[in-house]
Amino acid sequence: MRKLILLFFLSLLVTTLTAQEKVGISGKVIDNTGLGLPGVSILEKGTVNGTVTDVNGNYSLQVSRQSTLVFSFIGFLTQEIPVGSKTTIDIEMAESIVGLDEVIVVGYGKMVVKDLTSSISTIKAEELVKSPSGQAMQALQGKVAGLQVVSSGAPGDAPTIRVRGIGSYPGRDNEAPLYVVDGMFYDNIDFLNTADISSISVLKDASAAAIYGVRAANGVVLIETKSGGYEQKAEISYDGYFGTQVAQNVLKMANAEQFTTMANESGSAADAGFILNSMQKYGRSRINPNVPDVNTDWYNEILRPAAIHNHSVNITGGSKQASYAIGTNYFAQEGILDMKNEYQRFNLRSKIDYKATDWLTVGGNVIFSNALKYNDEAGAWNQAYFAVPIMPVYDESNTKAWPEPWANAQDLGYRGGQNPFPTLKYNENQLKIKKLLANFYAQFEILPDKLSFKTTYSHAFTSLDERNVNLPYYIGDGFQRPDATLTKRMSNTSNQIWDNVLTYNDRLDNHSFTVMAGQSYRDEAYHGLSAQGIDFPYDQEQAWYIDQAGTVPPTGVLNDGLRQYGISYFGRLSYNYNDRYLLYATMRADGSSKYQQKWGYFPTIGVGWVISEERFMENIKGLDYLKLRANWGQLGNDKIQASDGASTTTVVNTVFDGVMVAGTTTTSTYSSLKWELTEETNIGLTSRLFDNRLSADIDYYIRDTKNAAIYVRIPSTTSSVLKNVGVIRNSGFELTLNWANEISEDFSYNVGLNLSTLKNEVRDLYGQPYIDGGMAEFRQRSMVGEPLLAFFGYKVLGVYQNQSEINSDPSAPAGAVPGDLKYQDQQEQGEPGYGVINDDDRVVLGSYFPTFMYGFNIGISWKDFDFSANMSGQNGNSILNRKRGEIIWTAGENMDADLAVNRWHGEGTSNKYPSSAGLRKGWNQKMSDYFVEDGSFFRIQNLQLAYNIRDKKISAFNIPESRIILTAERPLTLFKYNGFNPEVANGIDTQTYPVPAVYTVGLSIKF
Amino acid sequence: MKRINYIVKITFAVVALLAVTACHDLLDEPAENRAFTEETDYSNSGNMILPLIGAYAEFYSRGWEDFPLIAVRGDDVNAGGQGDQQDYAETDKFNYNKDYWMYNSVWQNLYLDIFFCHSAIEQVELYRAAGGNSAKADQYIAEAKTLRAFMLLNLSRAWGSILIPSGSDPSVLLVTQLSTKDEVMKHISDQMDEAIPFLPDMNPNQRTDIKGGVTKHTALAIKAMANLELKNYAAVAQATSQIISSGKFTLEPNFYELFKIKGKLNSENLLELQYSDLGQGSGTNFSYLYAFFGSENWTPKVTGAGSGWGFFEPSMKYIKFMLDRGETVRLETSVLFTNRGITEIKKDAKYASLPAWVSNTTRSGDRINDYARAMFASGKHYLPSDQLTPGRTDYGTNKNLTCIRYAEVLLMHAEALTQGASGTGMTADQAVNAVRNRAGLQALTGVTNAQVMDEKFAELAMEWGIRYYDMIRLGKYNELSYDGRTFSENKSFLPYPQTQIDLLPVLKGNN
Repeated sequence: MRKLILLFFLSLLVTTLTAQEKVGISGKVIDNTGLGLPGVSILEKGTVNGTVTDVNGNYSLQVSRQSTLVFSFIGFLTQEIPVGSKTTIDIEMAESIVGLDEVIVVGYGKMVVKDLTSSISTIKAEELVKSPSGQAMQALQGKVAGLQVVSSGAPGDAPTIRVRGIGSYPGRDNEAPLYVVDGMFYDNIDFLNTADISSISVLKDASAAAIYGVRAANGVVLIETKSGGYEQKAEISYDGYFGTQVAQNVLKMANAEQFTTMANESGSAADAGFILNSMQKYGRSRINPNVPDVNTDWYNEILRPAAIHNHSVNITGGSKQASYAIGTNYFAQEGILDMKNEYQRFNLRSKIDYKATDWLTVGGNVIFSNALKYNDEAGAWNQAYFAVPIMPVYDESNTKAWPEPWANAQDLGYRGGQNPFPTLKYNENQLKIKKLLANFYAQFEILPDKLSFKTTYSHAFTSLDERNVNLPYYIGDGFQRPDATLTKRMSNTSNQIWDNVLTYNDRLDNHSFTVMAGQSYRDEAYHGLSAQGIDFPYDQEQAWYIDQAGTVPPTGVLNDGLRQYGISYFGRLSYNYNDRYLLYATMRADGSSKYQQKWGYFPTIGVGWVISEERFMENIKGLDYLKLRANWGQLGNDKIQASDGASTTTVVNTVFDGVMVAGTTTTSTYSSLKWELTEETNIGLTSRLFDNRLSADIDYYIRDTKNAAIYVRIPSTTSSVLKNVGVIRNSGFELTLNWANEISEDFSYNVGLNLSTLKNEVRDLYGQPYIDGGMAEFRQRSMVGEPLLAFFGYKVLGVYQNQSEINSDPSAPAGAVPGDLKYQDQQEQGEPGYGVINDDDRVVLGSYFPTFMYGFNIGISWKDFDFSANMSGQNGNSILNRKRGEIIWTAGENMDADLAVNRWHGEGTSNKYPSSAGLRKGWNQKMSDYFVEDGSFFRIQNLQLAYNIRDKKISAFNIPESRIILTAERPLTLFKYNGFNPEVANGIDTQTYPVPAVYTVGLSIKF
Repeated sequence: MKRINYIVKITFAVVALLAVTACHDLLDEPAENRAFTEETDYSNSGNMILPLIGAYAEFYSRGWEDFPLIAVRGDDVNAGGQGDQQDYAETDKFNYNKDYWMYNSVWQNLYLDIFFCHSAIEQVELYRAAGGNSAKADQYIAEAKTLRAFMLLNLSRAWGSILIPSGSDPSVLLVTQLSTKDEVMKHISDQMDEAIPFLPDMNPNQRTDIKGGVTKHTALAIKAMANLELKNYAAVAQATSQIISSGKFTLEPNFYELFKIKGKLNSENLLELQYSDLGQGSGTNFSYLYAFFGSENWTPKVTGAGSGWGFFEPSMKYIKFMLDRGETVRLETSVLFTNRGITEIKKDAKYASLPAWVSNTTRSGDRINDYARAMFASGKHYLPSDQLTPGRTDYGTNKNLTCIRYAEVLLMHAEALTQGASGTGMTADQAVNAVRNRAGLQALTGVTNAQVMDEKFAELAMEWGIRYYDMIRLGKYNELSYDGRTFSENKSFLPYPQTQIDLLPVLKGNN
């Protein structure tokens, strides 16, 4: 019996033990980049038993087997995992959109997202590396509301970036935002390896950017490079991909048969004769004996698939006192144009921070980028467009040709040789780019955790070494280059910035605030020297030096330089009352040597109200956070050149009796210029809903550029002068929605959407009704109430179908025939100007600014797989099809197939395009919406599928953590425009490098 | 210790802050690599000639389209613009398109250089004020005025009423009223009267400072041209008489070579645009784009010499007119024949047999092959391939472009006299016969005005539209209605370019 009782108690005890048994659970919490996450709270569900992870993300905890562990961390999705029989639980936390407690970089400091009153979009490293591109900014296309990225297909070329429209008159490289790389100012970041960037923050509104004063008017993009972490084990990683680029949406040109039809219908006996010449020379097609037996698709001939690859090795880590990141990267990209056209870049970098004492931290950051670029001959795109299809690439009968027998259109009677291959084969444009960014700082903790002083010196050094070689050839008497010419240009840019910043932050009860005051000294120097040599021994590249040239024309020797200084004082106040009321103000005084007016002052103020913290909001379900923001600020744009601000004298050469003499010309057209002033008001909402699963950010802004410097054409001369004579307004609405959810441990997903509208409008031209831009033949006009540089011309009603239609149209010109365009007479009957088409009938035909841009992304993670897709597009912009427009200078060359097929050639055949003969008439060549086309497009930006290998073994060996990635960049673009590519930065399509689709396979390994 | 530490930190911060503040005066540094006009040392009077040389440089560097548009409308020449530059061909047929780029470009090119002349005048005045040689300043200013006058003359002949700038700042045009063609010609004549006393009295090729530059006789010739437009024949004769009486000009005996290398700074020239390849086979080259005028297809004597574009075609009317007159050297010099062109002439039974010298090979040995755009090319714009500097291949490189030559002065003189004016130096018969003699034609006696005009047609075809502007001035519109064209008086002037109408409201409504 005692035994029985004992047994009973024992069993009871065991049962109790089983129920109450505490087991030790340990593990590591990492983020999706594999880094350990410190500070994650782990709680046994329904109890107060819990812990937080250490600096490396490790934890251990005693819990009961039946319990469930809740992992939570601000900014990440909360996860619940049952303990069961596990003793180790390693988890990867998925980010819940941008966390409100996340610290992001702002100018000269950092701020917590929830303290922001302005509009800042931050893109993280893992988003950036999705795009297989040498250009980090390319990865932002379609991802940031209000940011327009116009890609460039040419290897090594940076995309065009516009933040919230365009406030400065374009065309002078003054639309680009300011890039601040670890505190140093840049015009572009083409030298950076995307994988070295930790985050890119776009400061969209004036309030965020105003701390950069006179440089900030086009928006500011802050780039932070990756650092190591204190007390972090060394991590060695490799990231790389290789792939191929394929031209997309290649424009279909008229083939030999279509071209022959057009020539025969043109009414030009000369052009019909050229077709006969081609048939005589190359024979008649067996299918259609009236068509030459040649059918060259020139685009097909000059395009090629091109390779792209990228390899990075990085080591990061740190001890208690030091942290480091050291890495190297090699990127190589061929161009899709069949010539020496490629880009290679080799980067080295090292970033070290060292806590020398408890009050002094010092650090150094060095990036060295060494690139070799072979630029394309842009002219070849144009030549391939216009080259007639009735000519072969090679013509063996051209026996006089040298070094290779390329065909010559002049042999058929055309004025030019047309064949693009001499351009491709006998030119080489080499550019060696070396960039060095050195950045050192010392930070003193004067009052620990409260008052600190940081002094930073940055130096950006760029050396450009350019060598353009034009080799001789002979295709025909009128299609030859007798001399080998060599142009060398060397330049270096040395920019220095020295910043001193004092920061104080403190908290008194519910009042917390940060006060920052600083000053900055800037010194920018540029120096360039170039020379030309003619007739050098060109067979060996080793002889490609000016010294070897027979002739060095003195007019080919150029030397120029630039030196500008800037001194700035700035300050910031950021105040937070009880996490409910926010106040933000900055002020910058900028002194510049560039203009007669030396000093400018750029203030901003912003307020925020966290409504969700108010008591009356407590019971609203689903709403986690709601903040109303409003701000106002002023910015400057000092990219306006200074040279027009003074009357200048230029040296010109001429000859008297065969002797060269120098004289001078003096330009008397000048005005005193100053920087442009941009003023912006932004109101917005930041919200988090449904347990932080949904984030919604909404902004509305009005951005006015005052003193906009605009080129005013000088009457009766070829020149124009820049004057501060405009007010340009950009306004728009931006919406960013992100939804992230985790269905189970194995399956999570996120969906994002961003939309933005843009209205660009000229508000004032200081009394002038309009300012003309563009070319006389393809007029662009900036008028009050219309977008900047709107396309301006006649509206096409259709095509005259028959003589009676012409007879009944009072506005038809004398000599009109069926097949001519019919323009809209803007005057009503009885008004002056009715019954005749003249310049008063010109109207705005469109603008090159998209009025609506959107991006959409989806990410799915399932077990070891993850997939993401990005889509983007734009609407409302127009493109001037200048390739078609070229016919006004040279008729008789090739055209796109759409035009050839859909031309008017008899009643009812087309109401859109003129007849072949009509295309050559001045009447139909007026600037009209025949030339201006819809530039909308939709694109699948990026598709990526990745497989992650974690904790896998092959026999006894641990496989390092790896990731295999398949990427398709821009696999599909849909648009209506009759061109290669709807991405034309300035809306005028003469020749754009096609943007290729890129398909890559990538691998990441971490040791 | 802690206190010292604190002081060190504060001191460092303060020193750093002050160091930046010390850089303030750098903000006043002027820009690099720029010669500011206000920094020009005007007291260095040796440089006073530089602005004038600059004005010549701008005058010589003519846009290639200037000459064709100024010259294409006469019955001496056709556009040849088939298949290309349609509106240039339409202009030749008197169908004008104010939006056509060439109109605006020529307008701008001429005006821009007028402003450069003004600017040169203003700069020379600044040198004079700083102590420069006053007589030299007067001469330089007079030269710039003469160049300016030639451009104003061409502007007004092409467009009729124009704006006369009064200074180097183009914005003055915004407040300038239109001047009628007569007012412009009067202005030119007055300007030349102002300039003449200060200009050197010599042949341009006798000048040593600016060889080939403007002289008194250049200004006199421009004065004569302006007065011809005004039909002020007395003033014409008075100006031409002075040139003739000076004895400083002679006709080049070899008419063919006058338009080749030999014609450079020839004693016959009063004004020419100077170009040179500096005698080098490569490298710097100052040149006019003669390719525009050249045959599109040729077999040059010197292999590798580049051909042209074929846009300036002597008219069939002119060729037949010359054949009728029994012209030889002038026709041979003015027209390059193709076989297709020769066949086309022969289709007219009247010209079934042509003189033996009519051939598609020039006397210099270049063969002109058939090409689609035109049947003939301009010989006065042709430089034989064997006259190119070895190494150069561009059509016409190293050839000058003559603006005014003595033969035109002689014929203006004869024209004025046959219109009733009186002059000295030569009679109308003497003047015409001097020109005819060089052309290998028999002398005339009792020359009539009609004969003078025919002589001008024969002698000056393809040169600066002289023929067209003569016909306009004399109202001989039926001459311009040739080869299917219909001319009427309202077609006399080009419409103002749309770009300029957009910029200068005063032009609006005056087209």
